[in-house]
Amino acid sequence: MTDAGNDDRTDDRGEARTGFDPRMLEALVCPRTGGTLRYDAAAGELISDAARLAFPIRGGIPVMLVDEARALDD
Amino acid sequence: MSAKTTHFGFRTVEEADKAGMVRGVFTGVAPKYDLMNDMMSLGIHRLWKDAMMDWLAPRPGQHLLDVAGGTGDLAFRFLSRAGRAHATVLDLTEPMLAEGRKRAASASIPAGGRLDWVAGDAMALPFRADSFDVCTIAFGIRNVTRIPDALSEACRVLRPGGRFMALEFSRVPNDLLRKVYDLYSFGVIPGMGRVIAGDSESYRYLVESIRRFPDQETFAAMIRDAGFGHVGYRNLTMGVAALHSGWKL
Repeated sequence: MTDAGNDDRTDDRGEARTGFDPRMLEALVCPRTGGTLRYDAAAGELISDAARLAFPIRGGIPVMLVDEARALDD
Repeated sequence: MSAKTTHFGFRTVEEADKAGMVRGVFTGVAPKYDLMNDMMSLGIHRLWKDAMMDWLAPRPGQHLLDVAGGTGDLAFRFLSRAGRAHATVLDLTEPMLAEGRKRAASASIPAGGRLDWVAGDAMALPFRADSFDVCTIAFGIRNVTRIPDALSEACRVLRPGGRFMALEFSRVPNDLLRKVYDLYSFGVIPGMGRVIAGDSESYRYLVESIRRFPDQETFAAMIRDAGFGHVGYRNLTMGVAALHSGWKL
């Protein structure tokens, strides 16, 4: 990750492929329901089970916008 | 037409459309945004942001949320002053955050400092209540579709005793100075935008949105209505900009 210089200065528990720092889940919630999010490292998404939405992580940045989220089918 | 309307610069648009239009403006200008700010304000925006940090007095261990934080200008200042602290930058426009993240690689963040980036909406902050010690918004609140919603959200995510501070263009009280300022901003800034960023329309929007924004007292009343206490403001550069401060009690 050449574009994530600041990550080097934190204790790097971030997932390598998405560049997402899971410690962010301490404060992050679903913008629609205010509920807890689940980190799907394989898909690179933050899942809101209550809202049935998957929020993408792009370039290490969680995109917490409802109109950018993917609706979960079932 | 039954849809609710709002302002986009001097135009009236449907509420539902504004966020996309604002995102369009900032996606277009993202790579040149910092350079344009320097050109348009003759570098003065840096002094205003420093004045904001002087009043805010960041301390070690604090967690800042910078709403509409774009390329991270305030977050970098906050971290370098606070020392070991944590800053979260939220913005509606992904390319602005990506630009900031690139800058973070070369910025000097103190050891133990932590910085993260989130794309999100100021009117529906994706954070738990009582999460932050400080919430700032610099030159962002006037782009929000429903300002009272953004102020309420700022209050919600601050912990009791937390501080809110907004830096925004404001109203020059002196009539003559205001005329000079209007000539500069409407006559010069869109042209600069065309030359530097290749986009005069986006910069026309910026100038018009500045004129539409409520004056110092009106904005202070809105901050009080959102639930903040001890609300006050300071004029910067004769009121071209103002700093507003409030506390979650």
